[in-house]
Amino acid sequence: MPSDELTEKSSAGASPVRYAGATKRYPGSAKAAVEELTLEIPAGEICVLVGPSGCGKTTAMRMVNRTVEMTEGDIFIGEQSVRDRNPAQLRREIGYVIQQIGLFPHRTIAENIAAVPQLLGWKKERAAARSAELLSLVGLDPDLAERYPAQLSGGQQQRVGVARALAADPLVMLMDEPFGAIDPINRERLQNEFLRLQAEIGKTVLFVTHDIDEAIKMGDRIAIMREGGRVAQYATPAELLMDPADEFVEDFVGADRALKRLALMRVADIDLWKAPLAHAGQATSEVRADLEGAEVPYPLLVDGDSRPLGWLSERDLAGAQVPARPDSPLGPLLDRDDIMRDALADLLQGEAQYAAVVDHEGRIDGVLSVEIISEFLASPEAKTEEHSATERPHG
Amino acid sequence: MASVTTLAAVGEVGKGFIHERTSETLPCQATNKLFCWDWAGEHINRYETPTLQHLELVAISVLIGFVIAFALALLAHRHQWLQPPLLAGTGVLYTIPSVAFFFLLLPITGRGMDTAIIALSAYTLQIIFRNTMIGFANVPRSVVDAARGMGQTDRQVLWRVELPLAMPEIFAGLQVATVSTVAIATLAAFAGGGGLGEPILKGGISFKTNLIIAGGIAFLIAVSLGLILFAVQRFLTPWRRVRQA
Repeated sequence: MPSDELTEKSSAGASPVRYAGATKRYPGSAKAAVEELTLEIPAGEICVLVGPSGCGKTTAMRMVNRTVEMTEGDIFIGEQSVRDRNPAQLRREIGYVIQQIGLFPHRTIAENIAAVPQLLGWKKERAAARSAELLSLVGLDPDLAERYPAQLSGGQQQRVGVARALAADPLVMLMDEPFGAIDPINRERLQNEFLRLQAEIGKTVLFVTHDIDEAIKMGDRIAIMREGGRVAQYATPAELLMDPADEFVEDFVGADRALKRLALMRVADIDLWKAPLAHAGQATSEVRADLEGAEVPYPLLVDGDSRPLGWLSERDLAGAQVPARPDSPLGPLLDRDDIMRDALADLLQGEAQYAAVVDHEGRIDGVLSVEIISEFLASPEAKTEEHSATERPHG
Repeated sequence: MASVTTLAAVGEVGKGFIHERTSETLPCQATNKLFCWDWAGEHINRYETPTLQHLELVAISVLIGFVIAFALALLAHRHQWLQPPLLAGTGVLYTIPSVAFFFLLLPITGRGMDTAIIALSAYTLQIIFRNTMIGFANVPRSVVDAARGMGQTDRQVLWRVELPLAMPEIFAGLQVATVSTVAIATLAAFAGGGGLGEPILKGGISFKTNLIIAGGIAFLIAVSLGLILFAVQRFLTPWRRVRQA
């Protein structure tokens, strides 16, 4: 039952974070590192602070747990100012994940995860149970509990880092380039895992990165920062890509923002085409009749359960009846929940004009083509469509 | 014949070391032989007290040196500006030649074990202090950052994170300090501090059996103390023994 307990506890454990003119000036430096930052992060959302190096994003994040002390202004977690709190106690309520992970090399994995509970004076058994629970929550083998960090791979270590930050069920999580030192393949896996985890635990997360693609992928909201810790734009990923506030944001987002928008969409978000369907043994004349005026000029052979089998060519239709095996292979097969960018990649890679899209049971749902995608990107409705697409997938 | 004259010249100091000087066949210890087994077998018990004294000198000196150097290291860790002067100060102590150090202390503290211990402790300061500082400096910053970020106080960071992780360097310093103290402590006899230097001083430098026994015991003490410290360090740092999975 531990997982029930966790979700029950976690659902209550998220607070909004509000920057109110928070400023950081280092002595002897004319310019502020962070200048009057005002930002509101709703409870349970991931806010990504992104910007070029030296823009003050890490400083801005560290002011929340007072590992950097602000010079002016204030930050509130829920209703409470962080200035009113004892720093050590405040930090025990805030999860902290850093790029270099910083696991204690002299402590076992279980002890690492139980570090904050131990500081809070939890009983040994309770802390151990919590460690085991978190290991499985972040997808690690419980057998790793007694190992030392040096015995784990980089990806495993970062999962432990996330588990350690979650151990005492913090109100807020601070993540400073948490996946920055991981190889690209594992990074993508860790990102997906964290999004899945976040859908379950719903923490308020401040996530710092310099990688706009990661920001678009991870953020419910993105604050693009420029030098001096000023926010150039604070918006949802879709708004940012559709409507950059100024040239700086446009540059930072990149020239390929049309393509990036595809990363925010699912195949199901777009109006698909219909292909004429054909069954084995059906009269070809019937199929030819269906082809008249169809959106897709090729009939798609499906089985009794409407599962696509392949495309029928001219030669397949030469006989009186539709053959059981089509002449041309099916080509790329997409799922309704596939990310649009990946779907486009599949289309291009398969050198296919059309790709069949199926639902969860594998039944034909429609057909996607490169043409649909380019038309969609050019259309004014794209903006409104995308908003609905930014809801986080739960799977 | 030459050796007999030399032995006679040792006179009072060598008394008791040489028996039957007048016997017909010269005993082993009157010749120039490297090692006299018979003599060694008969007189081994006279090394017992010097050996125990030697152990006492080393243990007390290293302990005092460790307590002082460690306290200084904690201080310099908290106040980084103290590091250069403390390094220089302990370094100066370390460069004083040991015999000179003993003689310099004699008018102040008189002859005896205390004088020897003061000098020997002073020699350990530099090594232990410097190694402890290196140990602190080698603790990964990210680990300290994570510890602070999760809400450990400065004291908790020090005792739970920095000190355990600095253990290998601290023990390396202790090992070097201990082994070198075993060697330098043989000079404590000059200050009347006892130890294995005593039989060497009394037995004269030409009686090789005596030199070999006293030196050999010192060597064995150094090696075994070094090994014991190594074993303790291994026991205290189990995480360093694991292999990458």
